[in-house]
Amino acid sequence: MATKRKGSITELAKPAPGPKRAKPDVSSDEDDDDLEEEVPDEEEQGAISRVLDKFSFTGARERSEVPTSDTVSRLFKRDELSFLKMKPDHESRPMWINPRNGKIILESFSPLAPAAQDFLTAIAEPLSRPTYLHEYRITPHSLYAAVSVGLDPKDIVAVLDRFSKIPIPDEIVQFINGCTGSYGKVKLVLKHNRYFLESSDMKMLQILLRDQVISEQRVFTDVGDGDGITKESAPKMGALVIPGTKIAAGVAQGQQVVQPNGGENEEQKPETAEELFASVTALKEGEEDDDDDEEAEAVHSFEVCAEGVEKVQKQCLTLGYPLLEEYDFRNDSRNANLDMDLRPQAQIRHYQEKSLSKMFGNGRAKSGIIVLPCGAGKTLVGITAACTIKKSVVVLCTSSMSVVQWRNEFLKWSTINPDQIAIFTAENKERFRGDAGIIVTTYSMVTNSRTRSHDSQKMMDFLMGREWGLLLLDEVHVVPANIFRKVIHSIATHAKLGLTATLLREDDKIQDLNFLIGPKLYEANWMELSEQGHIARVQCAEVWCPMTTEFYQEYLNETPRKRALFYIMNPRKFQACQFLIDYHEKRGDKVIVFSDNVFALAAYARKLNKPYIYGGTPQQERLKILQNFQRNELINTVFLSKIGDTSLDLPEATCLIQVSSHYGSRRQEAQRLGRILRAKRRNDEGFNAFFYSLVSKDTAEMYYSSKRQAFLVDQGYAFKVITHLQGIENLPGLAYATPAERRELLQSVLLENSQNADVNSIEKETDGGFFDRTRGDYKRSGPLVKRNNAKLSGLSGGDTMAYMEQNASANRRMKVPPGQQNKFMRKLKSDAVKKARG
Amino acid sequence: MVRAIKGVLVECDPSIKAIILDIDSKTHDIIVENLDESHLIIKDNKVAELKRILEERLNEHTKVDSLEEEEEEEDD
Repeated sequence: MATKRKGSITELAKPAPGPKRAKPDVSSDEDDDDLEEEVPDEEEQGAISRVLDKFSFTGARERSEVPTSDTVSRLFKRDELSFLKMKPDHESRPMWINPRNGKIILESFSPLAPAAQDFLTAIAEPLSRPTYLHEYRITPHSLYAAVSVGLDPKDIVAVLDRFSKIPIPDEIVQFINGCTGSYGKVKLVLKHNRYFLESSDMKMLQILLRDQVISEQRVFTDVGDGDGITKESAPKMGALVIPGTKIAAGVAQGQQVVQPNGGENEEQKPETAEELFASVTALKEGEEDDDDDEEAEAVHSFEVCAEGVEKVQKQCLTLGYPLLEEYDFRNDSRNANLDMDLRPQAQIRHYQEKSLSKMFGNGRAKSGIIVLPCGAGKTLVGITAACTIKKSVVVLCTSSMSVVQWRNEFLKWSTINPDQIAIFTAENKERFRGDAGIIVTTYSMVTNSRTRSHDSQKMMDFLMGREWGLLLLDEVHVVPANIFRKVIHSIATHAKLGLTATLLREDDKIQDLNFLIGPKLYEANWMELSEQGHIARVQCAEVWCPMTTEFYQEYLNETPRKRALFYIMNPRKFQACQFLIDYHEKRGDKVIVFSDNVFALAAYARKLNKPYIYGGTPQQERLKILQNFQRNELINTVFLSKIGDTSLDLPEATCLIQVSSHYGSRRQEAQRLGRILRAKRRNDEGFNAFFYSLVSKDTAEMYYSSKRQAFLVDQGYAFKVITHLQGIENLPGLAYATPAERRELLQSVLLENSQNADVNSIEKETDGGFFDRTRGDYKRSGPLVKRNNAKLSGLSGGDTMAYMEQNASANRRMKVPPGQQNKFMRKLKSDAVKKARG
Repeated sequence: MVRAIKGVLVECDPSIKAIILDIDSKTHDIIVENLDESHLIIKDNKVAELKRILEERLNEHTKVDSLEEEEEEEDD
């Protein structure tokens, strides 16, 4: 490959691959080679990364050397931006833009900040949102998302300019135009069960049609002009009303109608300081006029065959015109409607409404991901989306526990007939009645690649055989992209909606979700929600526990693998845990203690005499423990292994202590915090939930801990460091208070197999959602009982077995004096003596 | 006859003490007397050397083994 590229440098210098391929006669062989190289049989992966490369800021964005203005400027290196001119009225504008990397810093104390924030969430990705300064970044993906909600690049630049303290740098303008120019110009629309490529720009379609791969997949229709490109008027937004928003008290009917333009969504929120916004609103009115013009604009489209859709999508990605997917569900006559609506008592909160209005931006359903904190009502967003589309829905969740929860939530919030919502898990394979319905299942059931039972095979055929209106993907972050690819390819669905709280993984396997599911449509601000009381206010603290000398000595001597066990089992940490439990139980809190390491979990729980749940706990027992935790006043603490991290709904819990965790996983930290965000008592006056992370000083844990907190800190949480817990020495019955006890603990830890320290191996046995048997039929481990043929007499030692003592104890051997001999030998000897005498 | 060794009293965290003990365990020529959890007497002429080794060790410990990082987040 490399040598080939060398040969074709001249070719690469030519502008874009698109028009080049348009040459009708590809004559020379050399040319042919180049085409092959550029386009066709590359993996989708490659295509995606190429697109990502193309739009990265870091690439060609080097500015010519800027004269350094003073002595300290060189210290700032690439962040030295003092050459930028400030606008004269910069003080009243809230935003800084860094032309080098597209970062935007927002002064969130400025009176204009709320408006700017709304705008920025639409066009940029939030990086960090502490109290006073927010950091955003314009990325290709975020612009992609902005375009998909209908924003125009001109407007983006204009609004940026209004908020910015400096004139918008040319680099940024170019970048925005570059990204938006290619993104979102072409839409893939499913209409009457046929796929159409749609664009408001005729030229764009012609470029695509000239491409060989795409034109092969094209279906010619009898209607249309000479080009075979159909022309029709752009969709009007009509009177689509997202159910539930109607009830939002005191809002005029006109505002409920979802606006066709994302820019106008901003208008829906109440603006109090009208004068301050005057400049912004003026702009918006301008936008509105544009919209009216646009609505009269025609839309051109041509049809592609269903089998070729994926190919076309890939091809468009390579060409740099990713397809936007939209579902015109109101005009879908082929798929049966599902009769369901939100129940009147379902109240949609403002941020849920906002997120949904982005999804149904122009009266059609867009695919994408909505990011809301745990406990902020992701389920309700999903249900509302389903009620809006009113077609058959597939819901995918992580465990069968949440399958049941989803079904119950559907029944609780919507008017759906219980017969029409079915569950597909290892134990339960039913279908809904009627033409349309909802199926709730797990990722593992759908992606199972091994042989299935007859029933589940039938069920899968059913799933794959029909067309679905909406695919709801719960907790999208847990599954790596390749699984999604599989799911998405096997289930034919018009729209996809991903829901998650933490759109991040340490291994970056979710990067491609942007393309596989859709752009991030909305991300909520955690701090804002907790201020408004939608999620609990949380006090975070990191408790530093010194290692005892003995433990630290052993810690130093061990291999990195086993070291973990020493810092987890640190007796000082144990005492801190005991103290905190005691303190919070006395305050009337319900406490959850998390430990990834099962050995430590059992040791802590047994010593403190508290119930604990881990992967091996039978389901009955789990339910019993959880019920007791929820209702029994005497059980105020429960220990959980990592199975409790996600999808476990315990609104009673108000305090959380983390003993051990999965290295530096930011997602786990956030998910665990999520367990107490939905605290029942969150609306009480002055209520705080507590999150403690216990860390052994001077160990690797310190490093991991700081890494783990990164995500929550970016969301605006502040971690307090506690170096000493006041009054811990005086706690009656403090564990491991004497050196003798501590040595005993050390001995038991030393004896532990180093495998126990290995968090991963334990996880293998115990992961898999809260309820383990639910994982679908393929992961069932091998038989536990081995069958052997044997006689009973054999088992009791009656067969031809002889007892032989190997390596006998030295004591016993000493019993026989060396001189003594066997009786027989003695006799021989004495006989010989007699003979000699005789 | 009484033999006197000139020593320096060191006061430190238990964890630092553990590292000093660990360094000493190879040569046994640093520590004169191990007093309690946070106190040691070490030989006068070894102070500078110990300081240097300790510094090295501490730097080592703040670096985290790349081995563990790689393992993060397998699919689950």
